[in-house]
Amino acid sequence: MKRNTLVLTVVLFILSTFAWAGWANYEYRKQAADRMLASVAQGELVLDPATGTPQYLSPLKGKPAPPFVLEDLNGKKVSLASYKGKAVLINFWATWCAPCKIETPWIIELRNQYASRGFEVLAISADDLNRDDPKELAKDKLEIAQSAQKLHINYPVLIDGGSLDKPYGGLDELPESFFVNRKGVVVAAQLGLTSKDDIESNIKKALGN
Amino acid sequence: MHARSVGIRIAAVVGFGLAALVLHAQADDASRSILKGAAVEYLFPEQVTVAAGKASDVTLHFRVAAGYHINSHTPREEFLIPTTFSIPDGTGVRLDKAVYPAGTDFTLPLDPTDKLSVYNNEFTIQARIVAEAGNHLVEGKLRFQACDKSACLPPRTIPVAFNVVGK
Repeated sequence: MKRNTLVLTVVLFILSTFAWAGWANYEYRKQAADRMLASVAQGELVLDPATGTPQYLSPLKGKPAPPFVLEDLNGKKVSLASYKGKAVLINFWATWCAPCKIETPWIIELRNQYASRGFEVLAISADDLNRDDPKELAKDKLEIAQSAQKLHINYPVLIDGGSLDKPYGGLDELPESFFVNRKGVVVAAQLGLTSKDDIESNIKKALGN
Repeated sequence: MHARSVGIRIAAVVGFGLAALVLHAQADDASRSILKGAAVEYLFPEQVTVAAGKASDVTLHFRVAAGYHINSHTPREEFLIPTTFSIPDGTGVRLDKAVYPAGTDFTLPLDPTDKLSVYNNEFTIQARIVAEAGNHLVEGKLRFQACDKSACLPPRTIPVAFNVVGK
């Protein structure tokens, strides 16, 4: 009798442990899902469970592109608003970003191909700028200019992209591109190197094709 | 006897189940932290004892997150940011020299002709340090820039903290 009671107690304890483990697992997954949703609101890479590859979820898709005014390499102020009526590819890149250097020639070709239809590219450098030291700042700008020159970039290169990290969803990884239609709405976003075809497809979306 | 045996088996199953839950939770955390940009982790040592005033070699161990790589100390392209280790002045421990491993070749799938020199998985840096007598908390720094096959994280500097006992 005593042994039966003991076994029953142990079994009940074990079942309770299972129940607790199940509840704890549910709570953990719920919290993880909440964290994921919160991060998506900032613009985030998430793993696609089907393919196991990272996919970019941008909260900006379907919304007006956040406005900005940045300097170009000559110190001239350039605003996104001045491009209203055009389809714009906003391409965040950096001098230290190897994948950016692969996609840049594709973007140059596509810009040349679609410019006559009202398409423009704004390259925004996410390189850090040392604004406290004028000499270092000049050096930073020179490095960006030299890099753009080596890549034969023939469209505006703006600096201080880091100042746009919040409105543009974090800019956690580069390259990162936003495709804006003629009305100023983001119709597509890409994070990381994809393909020239993907970029062209999104340009066509921005042009309204 | 039979009941006890069944109880032990059930307890073992419960144990395995709980262990699997904990490990699964840890794996989920790791994948999240990778995407947040913590691409390199300092592993060990936590403490070393060296002869005070004399140059001593300490091997620092690091791990690069799965799927990511960082530039080696001597990347092939000038524009790439090299991995560097440093120790700030005034800690009682001076970095005399750092010896870095050679990088391994890596090519991006969309540019197979361009070989990058990188570190991935685990790597070590041999730090030659000179410590004053006493206990010192060294707060070294590792600067690196990480990428995966298609995108790059911004350059980062992580703390490399370990205790040095100079005797």
